[in-house]
Amino acid sequence: MTPEALDALVLSVRVAVVATLLNATLGIPLAYLLARRAFRGRAIVDLAVTLPLVLPPTVTGYYLIVLLGRRGWLGQPLYAATGWSVAFTWYAAVIAATVMALPLLVRTARAAIESVDRELEKAAYTLGRSEWRTALEVTLPLARNGIVAGLVLAFARALGEFGATLMLAGNIPGKTTTVPLAIYTAVQTGEMGEALVLVLALTALSCAVLVLAGRLGARAA
Amino acid sequence: MSRLSVALRKKLAGFTLDVAWTAGDGVAVLFGPSGAGKTLTLQCLAGLLRPDAGRIVVDDRVFFDGATGVDLPPQARRIGYVFQGYALFTHLTVAANVAFGLRSRPRAERLRRSAEVIERLGLGGLEARYPSELSGGQRQRVALGRALAIDPALLLLDEPLSALDAPLRRALRDELREILAAWGTAAVVVTHDFTEAYRLADRIVVYDGGRVIQTAPRAELLWQPASEAVAGIMGLRNVLHGAVVKATPERIQLRWRGQTLEAVNSPTRSYLPPPDSPLAFFIRPEYVRLIRKDRGAPDPAHHMNLMSGRIVGEADFGTVWSLRLRLDAPGAPAQGDFDLEVEVPHLVYEILEIERDRHWQFSIHRGSIHVLPA
Repeated sequence: MTPEALDALVLSVRVAVVATLLNATLGIPLAYLLARRAFRGRAIVDLAVTLPLVLPPTVTGYYLIVLLGRRGWLGQPLYAATGWSVAFTWYAAVIAATVMALPLLVRTARAAIESVDRELEKAAYTLGRSEWRTALEVTLPLARNGIVAGLVLAFARALGEFGATLMLAGNIPGKTTTVPLAIYTAVQTGEMGEALVLVLALTALSCAVLVLAGRLGARAA
Repeated sequence: MSRLSVALRKKLAGFTLDVAWTAGDGVAVLFGPSGAGKTLTLQCLAGLLRPDAGRIVVDDRVFFDGATGVDLPPQARRIGYVFQGYALFTHLTVAANVAFGLRSRPRAERLRRSAEVIERLGLGGLEARYPSELSGGQRQRVALGRALAIDPALLLLDEPLSALDAPLRRALRDELREILAAWGTAAVVVTHDFTEAYRLADRIVVYDGGRVIQTAPRAELLWQPASEAVAGIMGLRNVLHGAVVKATPERIQLRWRGQTLEAVNSPTRSYLPPPDSPLAFFIRPEYVRLIRKDRGAPDPAHHMNLMSGRIVGEADFGTVWSLRLRLDAPGAPAQGDFDLEVEVPHLVYEILEIERDRHWQFSIHRGSIHVLPA
């Protein structure tokens, strides 16, 4: 394996792990709110979270540029204040992967939370638990299998993200070139051997994640 | 002295709950058909559902008052709720389920209390099991234990026996009665089964269509349903319609199928309808006396409300025979093709050779004809 390929592999894993952690912190509360609370703007939040699942990744990537690019709605004030832009950094790859993976976690976790019998939550309320403690002690533990499955899907999606990452983070070797981008580049430049190594590495990694997820699911059941 | 006073109004799509009743120590049973609003009432009591108006007071603590806006959250009510499917926490052990409501207490106290509850409910040895590893009866006791552990001001049980098979139901009905008596916690039980209601209750509140149609001690309900609607919900047989001949505070004479029957007026609510007004009444099938033919002519002083008829149908219920009698009197029978359902024990059926002999004289004591106020 060339140093470039190894860089891509390390970066991909790092991006996917960070994106999955972000997914867990954002996605699990979001899934709970969507499953259990009626709040203003719920339909819009639901739509915004789900859209990356149905839009072409390049379209999602375009919106991310509009939002976060150097001249974007958020990106411009940030650039004006700090002289720094998130675009074309590895953070951009993390953001792209997070946004693309979020609907997978939220939808899976939400379905699992919705399938928890509400009587159990009511029982917890009568036994003195606040809604917040009930979510932590009853609802989320009972939805655990679905949440784990959602996190696995999110990790896999983050690991394989291509389109949105290319748009927001670019394809800068050693900096933003993740494995999918590196494979694309290798094929474009005719380095089929390099491509094959990365393809096999990514396949092995995905298989390992699935096996691990199966183990976790079995233990939780 | 009432420990529990409930007045509720709650409008839902296509249904309005509008009830008021009180209960003292012991067990109050909310009895009525499904969809009558019994479970909604429990949810309002527990604070899981907010009524539109009304007032709920338990032991002088105001839980809800629509007029002043008081509405204690379920967490602050200290009410033990045993849900219909028990709602046990399937990811927690028996011990953790029972101790769930004790979180605010010091650890030592928590352990002591949950051990005590587990011991008293005969769940010792099952502490480390999960709900999926328990029998139906054990699950019920865990649900009870979890609710009782918090020393509830009031215990609510929603159809506590409906999740069980018939043989177990009977055994657990008696066990539940003993547990409720032993813990002495005031309880409200919801059921649609009259036998269950009667067995568990000190006081029965009859629900129908979102309203209370009678509240009475259980014995009073058994003998004096307040209306034909209550009799119907109780599943009483031989609910019949006649006309008043004469009513006094002690007796009511009525006309039915060409006979003049004499009934005792209600001892607690004398009922004095004018002559010729329609009157519903019921006769318990097991209180109709067939007259033996080997004892001479019936004595009118001893046999009241004497009639005769033919058996037109019968069914064997194992310990009793149910006979369908059609009066000799002309005219259409009162209940389809028969007038009265009569129940006789197997032994009587054999001794009187009813299988062979199909025509009988029978009498009904005036105390066994119960008038149903309109």
